[in-house]
Amino acid sequence: MNQAEAILMGLRIWGSIGAVVAAIFLTIGMDRIDEDARGAYVFRPLLIPGILVIWPLVLWRWYLYESGRELWARRYDPPRRAHFAVGWVLPIGIGLIILTGLSLRQTWPADIAPVQLSGPAEVSQ
Amino acid sequence: MSDKDRPFFVGYLPAPKALRGLLLAVCVLFVSGLAGFGLALGIAQDDPGDGAFRFDYGRQTVTGVVELTPYPLLRVTEGNERIPAGHTLMLAGGGKTNVESRAIPLEGQLAQVSGVLLERGSLDMMQVRGGRNGLQAAEGEVPVFETIPLGRWKLAGEICDGKCLAGAMRPGRGLAHKACANLCLLGKVPPVFVSTQPVDGSEFLLVTGPDGGHLPESAYHYVAQFVSLEGEVERRGDLLVLRMDPKTLEVLD
Repeated sequence: MNQAEAILMGLRIWGSIGAVVAAIFLTIGMDRIDEDARGAYVFRPLLIPGILVIWPLVLWRWYLYESGRELWARRYDPPRRAHFAVGWVLPIGIGLIILTGLSLRQTWPADIAPVQLSGPAEVSQ
Repeated sequence: MSDKDRPFFVGYLPAPKALRGLLLAVCVLFVSGLAGFGLALGIAQDDPGDGAFRFDYGRQTVTGVVELTPYPLLRVTEGNERIPAGHTLMLAGGGKTNVESRAIPLEGQLAQVSGVLLERGSLDMMQVRGGRNGLQAAEGEVPVFETIPLGRWKLAGEICDGKCLAGAMRPGRGLAHKACANLCLLGKVPPVFVSTQPVDGSEFLLVTGPDGGHLPESAYHYVAQFVSLEGEVERRGDLLVLRMDPKTLEVLD
């Protein structure tokens, strides 16, 4: 398996799990944790693409609501605390990725000349 | 608030005097920094070359014999001022498609081909019009063209999709273009190997599988990287065809 196949396989597995989570959450979970959503169905398919991508977060939030550990007043504390660090990590990370890409770039092998390994008479076609 | 005199920026109000200098400095640094960063990235890229769709030539119509490598070729018998007789023309469909379904019934026969030319130096390809107007049987005697085997070669260079390389995209090669190239190759657009140095006078070779089939899927992973490979080379008119051996593919350092 090469890198491209591995990435594709990883995305398929991630998306497949997300599809299962979406099916269960949108049919069972949503009614259990959000009383405003009960009886409302048309909008639910619109959430499928998002759940396919962030299904671990959906499961975590579902768990918090189900277990009663959700503290709405503290809901946005973690992202707020992370603002400063993320603000630095993002530009530095992007810069590092670009520098790494440029440094790993191959050089056009202009000095390698074509080599004839065998003549047409020796070709077995 | 603990400090009522501390200046505070509000977007829809005039900027506080104490913050104007900082605001101006940030604006200048931000704009000039982004411009400089963009310039540096642009300079670091390879020149995309002068390949292009030659819409300025107008629609080109020529006649020739259809050959399948299995990628469709036209060995031109009746050309025009842009595409001379004797030239071997690679054929592709619109977008990332091929014309094999239309070319297969015409294999070995005389056909009239019409479309737009893509050109990059000595490399060219025709994007054939849709339907029968693009590719149709023609009347006349069918000349016999020979295929000249040139033996087995070891080459260094890059596997590209021939259409983007010839000018459909800029850049039409390199890692930045790899995903596009692979989509073209999945669409059976003729792949082209760019050799570091000319082989029998040409640095561009149409690439096929080892058995004369399509480019093997195992080669997709190596597209857009600088590689070395071995294969049988044959000459069809002014076009070289490389029957690559996928087992010999190696990424160069």
